[in-house]
Amino acid sequence: MKVWQRNSILAVAVLAFGAARMPFEAGLGKELRTAGLTTEPMEVGTRDRIGQTSSAVALGGLRTLVATFMNLRAFSYFQEQRWDELAETFDTIVDLAPRTRYYWETGAWHSAYNAASYYINDSKLPALRRREAWRASVLRGRAFLERGIRNNPDDWSLAANLGFLLSDTNKFSAFRDTNEAFAAAAEAYRHSADTGTALPYVRRAELYALARVVGKEKEALEFARTLYQKDQNRTPTLLILLFVLENFEDPNRDATARAIELFGTPEKALEALAGHWHRTREKFPVYGVAATMEALEKMLNIPQEKSIFSQPMPPQWDMEDSFTK
Amino acid sequence: MSQSIANISRGSHIGRIIVIARHAFTQLVRMKVFYFLAVFAVIAIASNFFDLPQHEGPESIGVNVLRSIKSWSLGTMTLFSVVLSIVATALLLPKDVEDRTLYTILAKPVPRIDYLAGKLLGVLMLVFVSLALMNVLMVVVLQIRTSIVLEQQLDMAKALNWPKEAIDSLKLETAANGPTWSLQGAVFAVFLRASIMASLALLISTFSTSTLFTTIISFLIYFIGHFQADVRDAYLQAGQAGEGVFARLVSLVLSLVMPDFQNFNVIDAVIEGQTMPLLILGKLTLIGLYYAIFFTIASWFVFAEKEF
Repeated sequence: MKVWQRNSILAVAVLAFGAARMPFEAGLGKELRTAGLTTEPMEVGTRDRIGQTSSAVALGGLRTLVATFMNLRAFSYFQEQRWDELAETFDTIVDLAPRTRYYWETGAWHSAYNAASYYINDSKLPALRRREAWRASVLRGRAFLERGIRNNPDDWSLAANLGFLLSDTNKFSAFRDTNEAFAAAAEAYRHSADTGTALPYVRRAELYALARVVGKEKEALEFARTLYQKDQNRTPTLLILLFVLENFEDPNRDATARAIELFGTPEKALEALAGHWHRTREKFPVYGVAATMEALEKMLNIPQEKSIFSQPMPPQWDMEDSFTK
Repeated sequence: MSQSIANISRGSHIGRIIVIARHAFTQLVRMKVFYFLAVFAVIAIASNFFDLPQHEGPESIGVNVLRSIKSWSLGTMTLFSVVLSIVATALLLPKDVEDRTLYTILAKPVPRIDYLAGKLLGVLMLVFVSLALMNVLMVVVLQIRTSIVLEQQLDMAKALNWPKEAIDSLKLETAANGPTWSLQGAVFAVFLRASIMASLALLISTFSTSTLFTTIISFLIYFIGHFQADVRDAYLQAGQAGEGVFARLVSLVLSLVMPDFQNFNVIDAVIEGQTMPLLILGKLTLIGLYYAIFFTIASWFVFAEKEF
C-alpha cells in the first residue's frame, strides 16, 4: 500500500471514529452539566485574570487545584488588606470551583465583614466616603452570597449565611429598605430549611426574620404557632415572638395571663419581657409588651424605683453613628 | 510460572502481549519513576496544613482541609499520570530502536499489533500501579484527617446539645468530604484519561521522528482536548451565531479529530464533595476503552508496514 493511500485511510478512519463518538460524548457532557457534575467552560475574563500558566493548568483538568492556589493568594491579600484584589480573586476562584461552599462563604465574609469593618475605621477617608465604602462592601458580600446560592440552590449553609447577613444588627443600615432586608432574610432562611439538610435553628431564624417584616405579622404568627408545636423550638425568643404577634392579632385579649401561661410564672414572664424590651437594636416588634410588663409589675408589687421603666435603656447606638465621628 | 507464560507466548496473542507488557513495565521501573512517590507523600502531608482562617460555622470546622487534601492529591495524580503516560509511551519505541531490541523482537514471529499492545499495556500497568500507590497514601491521610475533623465536630455538637438527627446529618456531610467510593471513581477517571493519552502518544510515536515531537504534540492535544467540547458545541449550534461555512467546517474537523477530555472534569465535582454515579463512571470507562482500542488499532495500521 502506498503512503498516501495509507494516510488517506487513516484520516478517514479518524473522522469516522470521531463521528461515531460525537453524539455519545455530547450527550454525556450535557448529562454531566445538568447533574451539576461539570461546570460551564471557563470564561475569557477568568482566563485573563488567572494568567497564562494557571490558565493552562486549569484547562488541563486541574481547576480545583488552581482554585486552591488562588485561595492562598487571596489570603495574602486579606492579610495586606487589599480588598479590591481580594474580591476579584474570589470572583475568579468561584468561577473555577463554583460548587465549593467554602469559597462562596469566605469571599462573602471578607467583603461584608472584614472589608466593611476596615472601612468603618479607615481614618484616611472622610466620613461620607467611609460610609459608602462600608455599604458597598456589605452589598458586595450580599451579592456574592446570592450568586453562590444561584449556583448551589441545594446548599443550606449558603442560604443560611445570607439570612444571617441580612438580619445582622450591624448591617441593617447598609440596606436602604430594612423591611425588604428582613423579608429577604426570611426567604433565605426558608430556602435553606427547605433543602432538608439544614440545622434545626434555621427554621426558627426564619421566624425571627419574618416577625420583623412590617405587614407580615399574620403570616409570622401562623408560622410561630406551627413551630411552637415542637418542644425543641420553644426558645425564649420564639416564645416572646409568639406572645407579641398574638398581641398584634388581638390587642384586647388578656395578655398578662397569656404571658404567665407561656413562661410559667409572673416572675419569669416579666424577666423575659424585660429582656425583649431592651433588645431595641434588633428591631423586634413589641406589641403589648409595655402594657403587660406594667400589669406584671403591679401584680408582683414591684416598687416604682425598681420598675423596668425606671431603668435606663441600652444606648441607642446605630451603625450610622460610626460615620458621624 | 515463567515456563507457562513462555508456552502461552508462543501460542497466543494474549500471552505475547503479557510478556512484552511485563518487559516494558520492568524497563520503565528501572528508570526510577517511582521516586516521585516520595514527592507525592510530601504533597499529601503538606496539604494538611492549608487550614486558613474561615468564616464557616462550627459545623464546618476542618472540612476545607479535607477538600485541600483531595484537591492537591488528585491534582498531583493527574499531573503525574498524564506526564508518565505521555513521556513513557513516547520513549518506548525510540528506545527499542536505539537498543536494537525492536529488531530482535520483530525478527521473531511476533505480530506487530502484539508488540504495540504489549508496550501500551506495560505503560498502563505502570500508571495504574503508580496511581494505586498514590491513592493508598491519599486515602490514609484523608481517613486520619477525617476522623480528627469528625471528632472535633461531634465534641462541638454535644457541647451545643444538638439533636440526634442534626448530628447524623453533620456526620454525613463531613463523611462526603472524606474517602468515599466517588473519590475512588475519580482516581479511576484519572487513570482512564491517562490511558487515552498513552494510546494517543503511541499512535503519534508510530509516525513521529523523535521523542520530543511525540511529547510536545501529545501535550498539545491534551490541552486542546479540554476545549474540544466547546468546539463541538460551536459546530452543533452553528448557524445560530451566523458562522460561515469555513468556520463550521473547521469546528467539525476539530471535533472529530480531537479527543474530548471535558467530561473527565467530573473529578473536580468529586473534589468539591459531590457523588459520582456509577453509571457516569461506566460511561467514562466505555469512552476510555473506545479511544484506547481505536488508537491502538490505528497505531498498528501505521506501524504494520513501517520499515526499520
